[in-house]
Amino acid sequence: MPGADPDPGASRAVAVTGLGAVSPLGWNLASLWEGLRSGRTAVGPFDRFHHSGHRTHIAAQVDLTAEPERPQNKTRMTVNDRFAVAAAREAVARSEIDLGGCRGRTGVYFGSSTGGMLESETYLEALLAAVARGRPPTSSLLASQQNNGPGDAVARDLGIGGPVQTISAACASGAMAIGDAIVAVRRGEVDVAIAGGSDSLCRLTYAGFNALRAVDERPCRPFRADRAGLSLGEGAAAVILEPLERALARGARPLALAAGEAATCDAHHMTSPHPEGLGAAEAIRGALAGARLDPSEIDFVNAHGTGTLLNDAAECAAFAAVFGDRAPDLPVTSTKSLVGHLLGSAGALEAVATILCLLHGEVHPMPDDGTSDPGIKLRLVLGRPLRLARARHALSTSLAFGGANAALVFTRHGDRDPAR
Amino acid sequence: MPRSCSHATEIGTLRAETVVTGLGTIGPCGHGREALAAALAAGKPVVVEVDRGAGLHREGGARLAALVKERDVSRWVPAAAARRMSFPSKLAVAAARMALAEAGIGATEAGGPRVGVYLSTTYGPGLFTEQLLRQILLEGAEAAQPYYFSECVANASAAQLAIAIGARGPNVTLTQRESGPLLAVARGAQAVREGRVDLALAGAVEEITPLLHALLDRFGALARKEGALAEMPRPFDRRRDGFLAGEGATLLVLEREDAARARGARALARVAWSGAAFDATATASDWGDGHAPLAAALRAGLDEVPDGAAGVGAVVSGASGARRGDRIEARVLRAAWGEARLPPVLVPKAVTGEYGGGILAPGLLALEGAQFGPTPGFGEPDPAAGVTPHRGGARPIPSRVLLTGLASGGAAAWLVLERAS
Repeated sequence: MPGADPDPGASRAVAVTGLGAVSPLGWNLASLWEGLRSGRTAVGPFDRFHHSGHRTHIAAQVDLTAEPERPQNKTRMTVNDRFAVAAAREAVARSEIDLGGCRGRTGVYFGSSTGGMLESETYLEALLAAVARGRPPTSSLLASQQNNGPGDAVARDLGIGGPVQTISAACASGAMAIGDAIVAVRRGEVDVAIAGGSDSLCRLTYAGFNALRAVDERPCRPFRADRAGLSLGEGAAAVILEPLERALARGARPLALAAGEAATCDAHHMTSPHPEGLGAAEAIRGALAGARLDPSEIDFVNAHGTGTLLNDAAECAAFAAVFGDRAPDLPVTSTKSLVGHLLGSAGALEAVATILCLLHGEVHPMPDDGTSDPGIKLRLVLGRPLRLARARHALSTSLAFGGANAALVFTRHGDRDPAR
Repeated sequence: MPRSCSHATEIGTLRAETVVTGLGTIGPCGHGREALAAALAAGKPVVVEVDRGAGLHREGGARLAALVKERDVSRWVPAAAARRMSFPSKLAVAAARMALAEAGIGATEAGGPRVGVYLSTTYGPGLFTEQLLRQILLEGAEAAQPYYFSECVANASAAQLAIAIGARGPNVTLTQRESGPLLAVARGAQAVREGRVDLALAGAVEEITPLLHALLDRFGALARKEGALAEMPRPFDRRRDGFLAGEGATLLVLEREDAARARGARALARVAWSGAAFDATATASDWGDGHAPLAAALRAGLDEVPDGAAGVGAVVSGASGARRGDRIEARVLRAAWGEARLPPVLVPKAVTGEYGGGILAPGLLALEGAQFGPTPGFGEPDPAAGVTPHRGGARPIPSRVLLTGLASGGAAAWLVLERAS
């Protein structure tokens, strides 16, 4: 099983003890959950950059004026870095962990696909204009294009001394980063992992997805018959992972168990998923095997669900392959329908949303918009939350450019033997 | 303690070891290990003049880079496939096929769900990104070409590599600047050791464009001509003023030692230890001065290796000529070794340039006893650094080498390779 831990029972159970999020719904977890429950999309008009020349004109953007606690060195941080730091700070605060004694044993595992592209675009625009005018270009603007920016910013802000690693696997970055962090904690490489993802809106991705004709002119409608593409969003999410026994020993409240993770690749096409969802199905099976769960034990799925024709069809095929006859009855939601596609941060934010659903015993809805697709045989959660008070195990999937797939399984704490 | 993978003593059996069975490298020195070995033995930076015709460079700035001159990789990547790839993707696929060939793994054996790809890049496909941005900024957003977009993502090269060989296991792109190549190998080695994959292709790829070169120079990162001093990187030298930008790709084939031996493959090296840490005193674009915790982390890791630091026969240093980068690298090494004498410190990036995965292949060559010429640019020791790099001449063939990768921004990674015979 690719990517699956071959012997998870021999290793440590991993607890999620903190969550943090910056999303188009607000700068904290409470606003995220409230917005997700409402089923109202945050996708709409935006002004992060001038987009009159673009084909579409909607996105889900974070309100920068609502930033609650501005980092001291904000002037040297990209918007993306600020998202990441805010999410990580909230996750650390909620975990009530004292990093003071374990900074050297704490690692940061972050995903990002745009890094400081938004600022680099501004810089490059100024540079090209200056060259065209024959004037010496200025270098006073910040240009930090590299994708390691957000993860490094988190580590710097929190004074971390352990491993710091950034994964850039397009739309699967955040999920893969969390998957790596789970393995690192399970392996004993670190005692605490701060894992997540961060991405900001920028012209490159907005124009690029429009060039692919993959952006819907209306807010996206994942898995619906009239879906016409994705909606872009931005934000960050972070989770705190610790060995379960360590978390319990320090009196922490485990929010969930990070039970399984796996990553695969379609090796099929740069932008189109495997039509039968082959790689995605392998990733799901790998994560289930790592969690030692039968597919029948999954209570709901937070799908990648972008709203593109090909993604949703391939993902649906993967669910059918793994869950068989049960697939049409399996509750499925897509966080992207409410906050847009956060690209390198999407898998992280959706992991947080999945855990929130487990904690609250209900699956957040998608907007009840669009029409039913007879080819999508899934139990979509539409319009209002689905009460699943007894939900124990949930799956979150991420499918990316280049065929990279990641799957994460979370389990409500207290409902299973962690050494199972 | 930042151990990111364990030594065999923890696993307890030979079968769980990860070995390197293939090396593919394409860079400014040419294609393959022989061209690289010749350049390292000569001890001179392999440079060309960068095209400054776009007017993006500043007056008096850097002019040189270690660019790939032999750009035809059609021996490894057929034209029909190459037309869909950016230059770094072609380099990655070519280097991977070169590595697989050395490992004795045929095209039909290289793919499948048990094969993973672990690739590092700092800038991703730079030229395609630039061309896409120019279209958006200068011609209008609707001028953006979808081909540039799909091939400008950081994981494009890893994805193209997976498609080329049918690798359906984890497809991981690490973007952690100078520490990325070592993290990628460590990550791949762990996956092999833990049985998550049977085969890993791990390494690094980078492309340097005129725009990227100009930006690096504008931010004061690159070596330049200063008075009578020629433009060249001067690792550990008092007069160093920046690094030499480089491009290329290096891929390693990683597999379990028992599997390699069972199929009669020659193990080039064993991955003995890897570690990682972070210096939170670093700024976003430079190195910090928190050498003591990094040294403690390195020292603790080396204690896991047989004979500890004394068992390391050579350091293949990631020093590049960066002012602060070389200083903290030197201080970490000196503190990790304490009162003991440092082994020979080899600095391949002075020849191959920074960012092109330039440390991985020289690390393997160093383990094999390849001769390294005098470190280019080194003439005046820097008291603030205190490390004298290799000055050429014969050196004992080491049983273990330490590869170092301290990144601007604060990330650090180390890797110990040992002889597998």
